[in-house]
Amino acid sequence: MRLGANLVHLPIVRAVAVNIAMRADFDVDAISDLELAVDEACSSLITHAVSGSVLSCRFTIGADDIMFTVTVTSAEDATPSRSTFGWRVLSTLTDDVTSWAEQSEDRLHQVHIEFVKRRPVTAR
Amino acid sequence: MRQAATSQQRHSSHEYDHLVPLFDELAALSDDDPARETVREQLVTGYLPLAEHIAHRFAGRGTPKEDLVQVATVGLINAVDRFEPSKGSDFLSYAVPTVMGEVRRHFRDASWAMRVPRRLKELHLSVSGASTRLAQELGRAPTPAEIATHLGISKEEVFEGLEAGQAYHASSLDESLGGDGEGMPLGEAIGEQDSGMEGVENHEALEPLIRELPQRERHIIALRFYYNLTQTQIAERVGISQMHVSRLLSRTLARLREGLLDPEAEDEEPAS
Repeated sequence: MRLGANLVHLPIVRAVAVNIAMRADFDVDAISDLELAVDEACSSLITHAVSGSVLSCRFTIGADDIMFTVTVTSAEDATPSRSTFGWRVLSTLTDDVTSWAEQSEDRLHQVHIEFVKRRPVTAR
Repeated sequence: MRQAATSQQRHSSHEYDHLVPLFDELAALSDDDPARETVREQLVTGYLPLAEHIAHRFAGRGTPKEDLVQVATVGLINAVDRFEPSKGSDFLSYAVPTVMGEVRRHFRDASWAMRVPRRLKELHLSVSGASTRLAQELGRAPTPAEIATHLGISKEEVFEGLEAGQAYHASSLDESLGGDGEGMPLGEAIGEQDSGMEGVENHEALEPLIRELPQRERHIIALRFYYNLTQTQIAERVGISQMHVSRLLSRTLARLREGLLDPEAEDEEPAS
């Protein structure tokens, strides 16, 4: 899904995340963790996005996991630092989180965060 | 806390001794007797300090004091009207829970951030309650399908109930809705604790923000992101529902993010 890279759109992304996790019958902890992680990842990228650019979110639903990828266009090529509080939040809430950046047109960069939330093994 | 309330009650019962005979007088009057209104008014006025005392206990949670006194007074009037002295119990032990119930209902109804139909509120509360019970039974967080089976409702209804929680104001009195609602305020039950954020790159900016958090929020953040407990484990430890933990985490993370972006803005954040 593609939305404006603006914090006002966050509730939409969160609602989609919750809905997907509920329908995948993830447990209530995992549903909330996914929602919080989506919130955190999107917020942190939106603050670095070029104004008026697009926030692109992709949910990939597997049999026992949900993958989320979010991308913004940024003037900087810096990926979120791995030692910030925000990164600790993301890595606690999800099972596998990475980020990377690549140069796009002009001097702009595509910055991505991607994580996987697995169905807790105890739940099934 | 409980002890303090009891001694207060004992103290108050002397204060109200002179009113007790009025109940028999009121009961003896027929429904259309004009004297009834006078006696009733004397009773309500006489017990007003009780309503004020209870309103005071709920102060500082975002509802203006006058509103609370008004709501508590409504509860008191109901208690005066419904109390039956012939049943043997004394008025105070009847009135205190009645008035407190009225105040709690007010919080429950006023705490929804947007208009949510009553059916959805109740659905949310029953899904949340079932989730807590199942978590205790299973020793882990339940899934929507398990909640649906437990409650005998459809999964779609569980989804609705879960989603309705997002409209629930996080500063509401969840904690007095569950259980007896009496006893120690949660903040007091939780000791001081390290935030556990040392070693985080931006911890110098973060520490003051974390220190400013209400104690319970600080504790929950530490339990989730430092001790790596699940929300269900935190809920059990802190004595609130998992959904309340979820809302508190969401609100607190947003507040920390805002504070890290713009330290000046933090002061303007209403301390809800």
